[in-house]
Amino acid sequence: MQYHRQIAAIEVIGLEREFKGAIKAVDGIDLEVARGEVFGFLGPNGAGKTTTVRMLVTLLRPTGGHARVAGFDVADQPAEVRRRIGVALQDAALDPLMTGSELIELQATLHGIAPRSVRARGAELIERVGLSRAAGRRVGTYSGGMRRRLDLAMALIHEPEVLFLDEPTTGLDPTSRLTLWDEVRRLRDEGTTVFLTTQYLEEADQLADRLGIIAAGRIVAGGTPAALKAEVGSPHLDLVLADRADLERAREVVAAFGDHRPASDGCHLSVGLAHGAADIAPILRALDDAGFGVAELELKQPTLDDVFLAKTGEHLEGAAESEPEAAPELV
Amino acid sequence: MRDDLRTIGALMRRGLNEILRVPAGAIPGVLAPTIFMLGLSAAFAEAARLPGFSADDFRTFIVPVGMLQGAGFTGAATGINLARDIEQGWFDRLMLAPAKRPVLLAGVVGSACLRCLLPASFLLIVAFGLGVSWPGVGALALAALLIMGLAAAAACYATVLALRFRTQQAAPLMQVGTFVAVLFTTAYVPRELLADWLRAIADVNPVTHVLEGVRQGFVGDVTWAATWPALLALAGLVAVFGALAVRGMRRQGF
Repeated sequence: MQYHRQIAAIEVIGLEREFKGAIKAVDGIDLEVARGEVFGFLGPNGAGKTTTVRMLVTLLRPTGGHARVAGFDVADQPAEVRRRIGVALQDAALDPLMTGSELIELQATLHGIAPRSVRARGAELIERVGLSRAAGRRVGTYSGGMRRRLDLAMALIHEPEVLFLDEPTTGLDPTSRLTLWDEVRRLRDEGTTVFLTTQYLEEADQLADRLGIIAAGRIVAGGTPAALKAEVGSPHLDLVLADRADLERAREVVAAFGDHRPASDGCHLSVGLAHGAADIAPILRALDDAGFGVAELELKQPTLDDVFLAKTGEHLEGAAESEPEAAPELV
Repeated sequence: MRDDLRTIGALMRRGLNEILRVPAGAIPGVLAPTIFMLGLSAAFAEAARLPGFSADDFRTFIVPVGMLQGAGFTGAATGINLARDIEQGWFDRLMLAPAKRPVLLAGVVGSACLRCLLPASFLLIVAFGLGVSWPGVGALALAALLIMGLAAAAACYATVLALRFRTQQAAPLMQVGTFVAVLFTTAYVPRELLADWLRAIADVNPVTHVLEGVRQGFVGDVTWAATWPALLALAGLVAVFGALAVRGMRRQGF
């Protein structure tokens, strides 16, 4: 048992997937996810996130490399892998003619759950995701948020060791998104390993214990969000001077505190803080001593987009919003 | 084994859901064989007077053809529904189940076996109402078994195409296969009255044996000599198309 606990939930070595026309959607990725952690797989559209997930959940055969999920090889022991994983893919594929309860029971049967346990387990999960009142209704009448929650409940029916969530909040309104985040945290607290793909920086930052950043089919960075951000630099202090006179001299004053010569634009100065927030007061004092007034200041921590920029030379799509946009919907 | 049977049962129930919850959607498939029987028997009623025609009236002769066509349409519909499931992502959920692929296929195909009884029942009620002679319970039971088998073979064939093309746009291919298979048999006249080239095709067409097996009781008596070729032909069709369908399912993932 002790040995079992030490095995990683997901181990990937040199995983590749090549499609017709020599298109490599996934190009030799390595990653390891420890049991009980939430692993965020972050990348823009088309980076290879979904292709990777489809290989890990046995829906797509790798063309190279190896992957083990829950201790079993995805290529050689797919049925064993399927018994141990729960999957909520990008589009919640639910039969609109069936009710929520019927779908849960069908999923339970497909996973070989004993009939005497199906009802109780299904009702428990439906209650957990807040669908008790809608369970008897056909899924065709559900909102997007309700469908996602039902999809999650279905993925959990057989108490999987590893849960794959492929962009679970895409297209959801903020309330539904926060509800789903809470559920992911709860699952982590219960010891479930969660492999979460997302294109949203905030989601990755909020939920992931560790991150893998993928671009053009390759892992470009990996680590905890804090470590990744620390890797790309120290916090920045953005300043707006009260007066734009002698900006060059002001720039020289603040340059002494940063690890780089600060950029400037009009009345704006930006300086990297070699010692973090502790540098703020000395900078303000130095500017005051030199006769500069400060109209506005803002401390900016490095973001995952900065990490992405540093590793790929490009911004992550949608990074400016940092959270998904969605039309309001009923939940 | 018990888990496998429960999985098959659950998938069959899902397949029947469409008829139960959207009955209007099933109406064309239920009516088509009956309309076909009525139209053809009106147009070719006099064909039964031809020398060598084995039935007393054309309507009785054509009823088994309608039953087979109903089974063929049902099989094609199973493939079309599967293609829709592939397009909408439901098929991924099915493939993520740890159940063996043949078990999943049996669940999908099993619903076709049950659903094909609906157009056949409607056809028979109308046919008996119009005076088609009663073939006997044994002959009807055998006919039901055979059309269920043909629906299974047609569903496997349509599943192969659904898995290959992964789109409902392949529907015409699914429908035309069973239509042609029934067309090039002794569907409309006895073997002796077929043109030479058509007779040659009908002789090697396994569906001819299935049709002759269903036709027993309606035309002539039920005999083992006409029954075993029908059963053998169906076993072969289900084995070949079933194996291809399972292969197709495995190629979707693992």
